[in-house]
Amino acid sequence: MSILKITGLQKSFGAITAIDGLDLTVEEGEFFALLGPSASGKTTSLRCIAGIEKPDAGQIEFEGSDVVPTPIQGRGMAMVFQAFALYPHLTTEQNLAYPLRERGIEQTEVVRRVAEIAEQLRLGHTLARKPDTLSGGEQQRVAIGRALIGRPKLLLLDEPLTNLDAKLRHDTRAEFKRLHRELGMTILYATPDELEALSMGQRIAILEQGRIRQVGTPDQLYDAPESDLVARRVGSPVINLIRGTAKANATINLPFADISGGNWARTIAGFDVNTEVLLGLRPSQLKLVEGTPGGPNFKATVELLEPLGDVTILDINAAGVEMQMVLPEAKAVGFKVGDSLEIEFDPTTSLLFAADTGTAIS
Amino acid sequence: MRFFRKKQGIGKAGAGWSLFAGVVSLIYFFPVLWIILTAFKTRTDTLSIPPKFIFTPTFDNFIAVFYRSAASSQDAASTGFELYFFNSIFIAGTSVILALIIGTLASYGFSRHPLRGNDTYLFVILTTRMLPPIIAIIPIFLMFRLSGLSGTYIGIILLYTAFNLPFSIWMIKSFFDEISTDVEDAARMDGSRDRGVFFKICLPQVKAGLAATAVFALILTWNEFLFALLLTGTDTRTVPVQMARTLGGEIGVDWGLLAAIVTIFLIPVFAVTYMLQNHLLRGVTFGTVKK
Ligand SMILES: Nc1ncnc2c1ncn2[C@@H]1O[C@H](COP(=O)(O)OP(=O)(O)OP(=O)(O)O)[C@@H](O)[C@H]1O
Ligand SMILES: [Mg+2]
Repeated sequence: MSILKITGLQKSFGAITAIDGLDLTVEEGEFFALLGPSASGKTTSLRCIAGIEKPDAGQIEFEGSDVVPTPIQGRGMAMVFQAFALYPHLTTEQNLAYPLRERGIEQTEVVRRVAEIAEQLRLGHTLARKPDTLSGGEQQRVAIGRALIGRPKLLLLDEPLTNLDAKLRHDTRAEFKRLHRELGMTILYATPDELEALSMGQRIAILEQGRIRQVGTPDQLYDAPESDLVARRVGSPVINLIRGTAKANATINLPFADISGGNWARTIAGFDVNTEVLLGLRPSQLKLVEGTPGGPNFKATVELLEPLGDVTILDINAAGVEMQMVLPEAKAVGFKVGDSLEIEFDPTTSLLFAADTGTAIS
Repeated sequence: MRFFRKKQGIGKAGAGWSLFAGVVSLIYFFPVLWIILTAFKTRTDTLSIPPKFIFTPTFDNFIAVFYRSAASSQDAASTGFELYFFNSIFIAGTSVILALIIGTLASYGFSRHPLRGNDTYLFVILTTRMLPPIIAIIPIFLMFRLSGLSGTYIGIILLYTAFNLPFSIWMIKSFFDEISTDVEDAARMDGSRDRGVFFKICLPQVKAGLAATAVFALILTWNEFLFALLLTGTDTRTVPVQMARTLGGEIGVDWGLLAAIVTIFLIPVFAVTYMLQNHLLRGVTFGTVKK
């Protein structure tokens, strides 16, 4: 059953359209990630859902009823703000207790639950301290604790990891998954970070300029992006998009090779000759030719090497087309800038998009 | 956000700088020190040249503040100073508190619920303080006459409150503007109504700002002379007015007496400022706290 259903959400600030017809459905108990770059409208969406911001148009159904007219205090949601928004004049203990005290929960129960959450989030040693004496990670755990303590039906998380260092970010990702599993609550998690979205989100919505471009599981988004934009958002290093033209016999003419035989072959067979297309090749799909090439192949020169430990990312240039490829460290050993490589790929797993609209062709 | 903020600064700058700071602050404090010393001097010591720093202190000046030295010394009459002193405290205290209350509410409104043309209103509010007071004195005097406010506590308190308000609104608003509205939104999500948000979340965060505003407003009001001179009566006279009255006399200015009055007069402002000092320092450094 869906717990949250948003339809046609619209929100502008003066001339700026922050949310532009957003539709979204979140299932009960789901860990749902909202992935979008800066200024795509993540915070504004969450603020509308929470009731902090009043939408210009659209419906927000929560547990089956429209909550747009419901005041912010009564929605049964909690939010972890991008900058934590802890109460600076209150101690950790008072911060955690605040939501309970404001709801008139009995003192003994407050004490019990504060102790419980402090234990769960390892905040025991900070209870008597104020936020400005806490480390970034502790502040963030207080913010999470304050959101969890009221046992919300929906937890809104706004880039909760952005203000943490890399190590802490990694640990906290695991922590969120654990909390989600243990508490079984619905989580809507906004982030500009693909890795966070893919590693935690059971489903992910790709947000761009205030609109959802695609919703799906990480695999769906990776394997079958509906547009070149989604293809570029999901997968790292970023997918190579190579401009080409459709020719007769379902062949695509690229600057460095002619290819055929992709999933898209049947569709483009019906296209006009010379239709412009974008061929999508994941950097990991490009392989070095060893022996006789099994598929389309081309020559490229190495322009940059970026060794990352296990793998090396190579910037290559084939007939004026810039691409990236990923090689296992062992295979890239000894390569240097200016080397010429022979590269092949399997066309059947390549993706194809219309060059003008960006929609996927399959 | 500042992590692990400790009490710091004591002795850190080194002896040389500390000495330098000591000398500078002594120069600043010198007039005050001079007055306080004078209050304990006899008339001869007061006027001696070169000035004396080592002398036998006397309390005669302080006694003279409260009792007129009648020649026949039995019927030493009260000078009424207790009343004027009380008046100063009561009038300044009440008007500062009123200005703080009204100013806090108004500036919260201006900060959180801006009107169309918010800045214009704020500007207009401040314009009344741009006028030199002397310009306003005659109309105000006449208005007070007509409305029967002259010589009353209510009159002078209202006037001082009105004087303190523009400055208080501007100053407190800047403190409200500094604090993150996310924190208020968080409180609303946690179940607080508007009043709870204001009293439990916003107000505690601007405590330092309120303390700073209170001290500045108090100092301005405490020393106000012109309007007090014209608008208070014998029952409501404040200390600065009384000070002016001791200036005239057949024997010339009684510096010892004046210094004693000033010394007593300084105590309440000293005390209040000292009490609020910790808040004050935080108030001034407020901008360094990341939102
Ligand atoms: N209160 C506001 N007034 C004016 N414009 C706003 C306001 N809030 C958001 N915007 C604008 O709306 C757009 C979406 O902002 P939003 O904060 O939702 O983005 P975001 O995806 O959360 O970005 P980030 O990752 O940087 O936090 C931006 O262009 C932003 O400038
Ligand atoms: Mg944001």
